[in-house]
Amino acid sequence: MIQRIKNRTQLALESMEEEKGFYIWITCLLALILLCGFALLASIVTSMEILEFSIKIPWAGMISTYVFLVAAGSGLCIINALGAVFGMHRYEILGKRIAFLSLTLIVFGMLCIVLHLGHPERMPIYNAISPNFRSAISWMGALYSGYLAFVGLELYLLIRPDLFKQSLVSTGHIKTILKILTLEKFKNTFIVKLLENPKCHQVIGTLAFLAGISALSMLGSVFAHSESRTLWYGPYYPAYFIVSAIFCGYAFLIIMTIIFHKTGEDPIPSDVLSLIFEMAQVLALLLAVGVLFITCRIAFGLLNPIQQGPLLLLLNGPFKIGFWGFEILLMSILPVLILLWATRKQSQTLVFSGCLMVLIGAFVMRYQFVVAGQIFPNITEGLPSYLPTLMEIFVLLGVFSTFLLVYTLGEKYLSLKETDPSFLPEKSMS
Amino acid sequence: MKKKLFINRRKFIKVLAGLSVAPTLGLTQYAAADTKQFGKLADTFKCIGCKRCMSACKRWNDLEVERDELVSDKDTDLNGNNWVVVNLRSDKKNKTQRNYMHWACQHCQSPACAGVCPVSAIKRLDNGAVVINEKKCIGCRYCFQACPFKVPRFDFEKRVTRKCTLCYNRFPLNYKKPACVAACPVGALAFGYRQDIIREAQKRLHDLKKPGYIMGIKEAGGTGMITLLPAKPEDMGLIQVPKKIINQNLDKVRITAGGFLGASIIAYAMYLYSGMTQNPDPNIDKENNDSTNQK
Repeated sequence: MIQRIKNRTQLALESMEEEKGFYIWITCLLALILLCGFALLASIVTSMEILEFSIKIPWAGMISTYVFLVAAGSGLCIINALGAVFGMHRYEILGKRIAFLSLTLIVFGMLCIVLHLGHPERMPIYNAISPNFRSAISWMGALYSGYLAFVGLELYLLIRPDLFKQSLVSTGHIKTILKILTLEKFKNTFIVKLLENPKCHQVIGTLAFLAGISALSMLGSVFAHSESRTLWYGPYYPAYFIVSAIFCGYAFLIIMTIIFHKTGEDPIPSDVLSLIFEMAQVLALLLAVGVLFITCRIAFGLLNPIQQGPLLLLLNGPFKIGFWGFEILLMSILPVLILLWATRKQSQTLVFSGCLMVLIGAFVMRYQFVVAGQIFPNITEGLPSYLPTLMEIFVLLGVFSTFLLVYTLGEKYLSLKETDPSFLPEKSMS
Repeated sequence: MKKKLFINRRKFIKVLAGLSVAPTLGLTQYAAADTKQFGKLADTFKCIGCKRCMSACKRWNDLEVERDELVSDKDTDLNGNNWVVVNLRSDKKNKTQRNYMHWACQHCQSPACAGVCPVSAIKRLDNGAVVINEKKCIGCRYCFQACPFKVPRFDFEKRVTRKCTLCYNRFPLNYKKPACVAACPVGALAFGYRQDIIREAQKRLHDLKKPGYIMGIKEAGGTGMITLLPAKPEDMGLIQVPKKIINQNLDKVRITAGGFLGASIIAYAMYLYSGMTQNPDPNIDKENNDSTNQK
């Protein structure tokens, strides 16, 4: 017995030695998750006030992170539709990664909302019993629930052949679990045959696309419906949310694909590489469209006397560094130039840097949009200010770390690497 | 053979008559309900800043009492424990004009907060009180964002949003006024049917023979709380609220439709992008990829 334990420990140590970088990465993420756990425990023991302390600016870090993650996840849903709905076969090779990344981004975005709510346990109950159809949050919740279900099913259909192959080579309990997951017992039933039909895959992809894009538009409407928040109000943000979500989705996808291949042993296949450069070009174009949106917003906002005050907060007030430095320079202008240059030079490093800039700028943009939107109007004289607390930062780092941990494990164990676009579920299962 | 219609002439006339009468009946019911709605008057000319209203509110609603809350010049903000506040404010245009402002939920006739609550936890009762069901509230704070007066505040201890309920729970116990109105020693607060309260406010302003402003008649589409101010709300350091219903359903539909229009344009752009960059035969794409791989 002792000898067996010794042998297993030896094997584990050897595998850790082989994948040193991977285990260091996991340990760092776990350490940040522990910090997040500490902050959450402290908020339960003391008061929720230590997480989001401001009464006058009640939506802050958590909501910004929620918007950032969920919008990027929805953007990936739209990118996924290029392959699944619009028939661009070269996008299908990244199908598994896009679906899994989208699913994890939205799930961890939802986690931010759960941590933000006073009573998250009541949400599913009363959203089902007494939904308010006049409320954008209610619609957004319903649409995202539908989207998660569809994208989950889509991912399942994509990884089912892999699970089936694994079940053939595994033994014991793992084999039993894999057999249950692949629905082997129901092989000849109507439902399984339906799931194996490639058209079903396309229908689910279309439904996921419709639910995702509607949910994203509704996410913009959550802010845009608030007539008393002049910065958010109006039809501008639901449309801008879609554009910004797609460029965030592209940036996430390119970064994750490059990181996966750089840290792994396989070099990037040439078709994936050409797709990365194509995506970088589309990303540059979308960023240019985004600049156009921002310019229109500023122009129309400054002409409207009601919206001048909150807009000037961004242009020439306490948020000016974030706006000009991050939203305009880091998120919009520099990446466009870098990405175009990178595609000419065929440089992965430059594409990676451009995408990273987009993500950093987009996070600051979301944070500023949420916080600055609540400054006007406020009841007492003088503008309220907001800076995140240390505990809030711990929780946000924890959310990002959990997302990265789950994504890393998914990339490792769900074999999300590029697949042949011509695969058909029933062919690979036979 | 003549085809039989699913509805005969008599039925059609009946339905038509019903359809024309139904809205009228609805309007009559609405009008009757409007006269039954209660309102609260806050007369800032009469208020002496004793803050007994705040104290009475806390006693009745079982809220936490702060040590120095009755200090007249202390500025207090609304929060989960302060549903009613009284603060000294001066007119921006005439600094010598200083009055105590009684501030609480305005009990809008078309409450924006009720329209955005995702779980329908906020309701406007038949008597005009806008009430949050604390057992249903999920604590999302969307009501605070929607409220034009920024009144509903999050209680970090109870983890729900709370605000003045117009003491709706006192009436079944045969109390005739909310706790704050009953506690006011100088008659600065009054309670009654909204129409009577508006008339009372106009009478008081007329009797004063001073310039003044009655807030709540048209603000946010009309509110249950009527405040008699010495100047316009924005001059007294209060939020300037548009004189129309906030967050109208039609407005929400318009904005949402704008979003969906944007989504449709994006979908069309994707369709064009896929059409422009794709070969008519998908196998050509695949062959190209294969040849690139071989190279």
